[in-house]
Amino acid sequence: MIVAAAVLLLEVSSGSAAGGASAPPAVPDDTIAIIVNQSNTIDDLSLKDLRTVFLGERSHWPNGRRITLVMMDPGLSERRAVLRDVCRMSETEFSRHFLQGLFTGEVFVSPKTLSTSVGVRKFVFNVPGAIGYLRASDVDSTVKVIKVNGHRPEEADYPLRIEVRASK
Amino acid sequence: MRDEGQNAASVEKGVFGRLWNAASELVSRHSSSLLLCMVFCVVVGVGIFMMGDLHTATEQVQRMYAGSVQGLRRIGELQYEAQETRRATLYALTTNDSNLQVEYADQSRGADRLVTEGIAQYLVESHSPREVELGKRLQRDWAAYLRVRDEVLAEILEGSIKEAVDLDLTGGVPSFDRVRQDLEEVKRLYDQQASEQLTVVDTSSRKSVIRLMGVLCLTMLFASASVWAIQRSKMMSAMKLAKMQMDFVASVSHELRTPLAVICASAQNIADGVVEEKEQLAKYGSVIRHHSTQLTELVNQILLFASTHEGRNRYVVRALRVPEIVSAVMMNTRAVAEQAGFLVEEHLGADLPPVNGDFSAVCQCLQNLVVNAVKYGGNHRRITIRAFTGPREGDHAEEMRISVEDHGIGIDSSELQQIFEPFYRSPAVAAAQIHGTGLGLPLAKGIAEAMGGKITVVSKVGVGSRFTLHLPLAKALETETKEHRESHRYERKHSVGRG
Repeated sequence: MIVAAAVLLLEVSSGSAAGGASAPPAVPDDTIAIIVNQSNTIDDLSLKDLRTVFLGERSHWPNGRRITLVMMDPGLSERRAVLRDVCRMSETEFSRHFLQGLFTGEVFVSPKTLSTSVGVRKFVFNVPGAIGYLRASDVDSTVKVIKVNGHRPEEADYPLRIEVRASK
Repeated sequence: MRDEGQNAASVEKGVFGRLWNAASELVSRHSSSLLLCMVFCVVVGVGIFMMGDLHTATEQVQRMYAGSVQGLRRIGELQYEAQETRRATLYALTTNDSNLQVEYADQSRGADRLVTEGIAQYLVESHSPREVELGKRLQRDWAAYLRVRDEVLAEILEGSIKEAVDLDLTGGVPSFDRVRQDLEEVKRLYDQQASEQLTVVDTSSRKSVIRLMGVLCLTMLFASASVWAIQRSKMMSAMKLAKMQMDFVASVSHELRTPLAVICASAQNIADGVVEEKEQLAKYGSVIRHHSTQLTELVNQILLFASTHEGRNRYVVRALRVPEIVSAVMMNTRAVAEQAGFLVEEHLGADLPPVNGDFSAVCQCLQNLVVNAVKYGGNHRRITIRAFTGPREGDHAEEMRISVEDHGIGIDSSELQQIFEPFYRSPAVAAAQIHGTGLGLPLAKGIAEAMGGKITVVSKVGVGSRFTLHLPLAKALETETKEHRESHRYERKHSVGRG
């Protein structure tokens, strides 16, 4: 009897320990989350595919919706991080890329520019084909966060972060 | 005189009879007050009825307000918010600034949330099939419009203004028109319901007014009848009192006239020198004294009744020995009884306990009963005085009963209550030329009640009557001094007339 009770107690303890482990880990504030509309079926994009989307070289999602790119105003740390880690361009190169691409027809999507993270979130919520980015701490349930290279923002190997030194 | 069977029957019918008599007496004594009470009750009833009616009318109006007026207000709000939803969407079309477009989209969604909640609330509060059907149709059409609106917003935010306008014209406008029509129909339904309820309230209030008028008329009728009855009752009482007083005056005058006539005649004879011999003179003096005494007794009786009736008498209540009371009564009434040829017997129980009372008042009370027995004792000419103890009515405590029984003309049962009323004289007694003032029994009753007791009577016409004085027993015997009792005897030596 005593042994059985001890085993049961052990199991309960281990269960609660497992439950504690299943709680989502705290997301670092310097992480950039890539967000899409809740109706979008995309869950994961490689950094390479993400670059294609953010450079306007891809016009539609697999479900047929037109891609609408949402960027934040120039100078904001989130935008700098995306340009650096996803587009691998400077602000000037990025502007030139879109001017040139739209002129030549190589770029299909012109980015929408919003001044606040709330505006970005509401835009993505309203437009089924929209894709944008936010600090992970600004994300809520109205939008969907996708994995990048198979990693969620809270994971250590997640590739998109605001460079601390640069922000200083 | 009376057999035991008669007594038993008297006791058996006593319970209901006493109750009925008490009720009758109460009603006859307080008829005006009772009528006023009834009028008050009726007025209170009418007031309650009116308040109930007003309450019902208020409830109906409140229901109408809650059901229709508030419904109309809610529909007005729904119409406004639906317009806001569409207005914000159209505003988004007018700008290329993505930040403003997002803000308008947000406003549109805020307004549509209010509309959706309002429709759901309307469905919850819907009762009639028509309301439910209309509510569901509105919900369906609103959802259809929102689907188009979402697409339009998406197109606007994507920057596809032309596509957004096309979509709004082909899908948004017709679906919003359907929503508007639905809302108008709901409003019309509310208008119709409000109109119907207004008709109901109007009809109800008209009926209420008619009811109130009817009730007020009935109340006024009843009140008038009551006032008439009260006035009539008072007039009858006044007339009865006046008649009794007239009878009393006539009776007293008659009682006064006879001895006065005798005194006058005797005095005249003496003055005229008709009476010369000493023996005759002594006889005439005796006659004058006798009739003067009668007059004094009569006046004393009247004064005593007046003082008892006004509550001016001060009784000295103490423990009294019953044999001494009976003895005093026997002595004070001996002359009257012997003159009328009556034999008075006394049967006193052994070891009778003392009673509480005022000696002279109790003697006066019993003397009145004995004199009445002499007056109405008929030809049998035998009076029996009994004293014994028995259980008191109500708490069954021991009490003293002193009864005076005769075998005379008796009293009709219909008159048993009236004989204790002041100035009352039985028509049969008046017809038989038996004189009296109608004060003897009321005086005896007043004394008995003042002593904490009462007088009861059992009588049968042609057989006789038995009056019983019930007195409470004394806890401790406080004998009066002989001198005191003697003085009472002296004062009350002359027994007095009766009812």
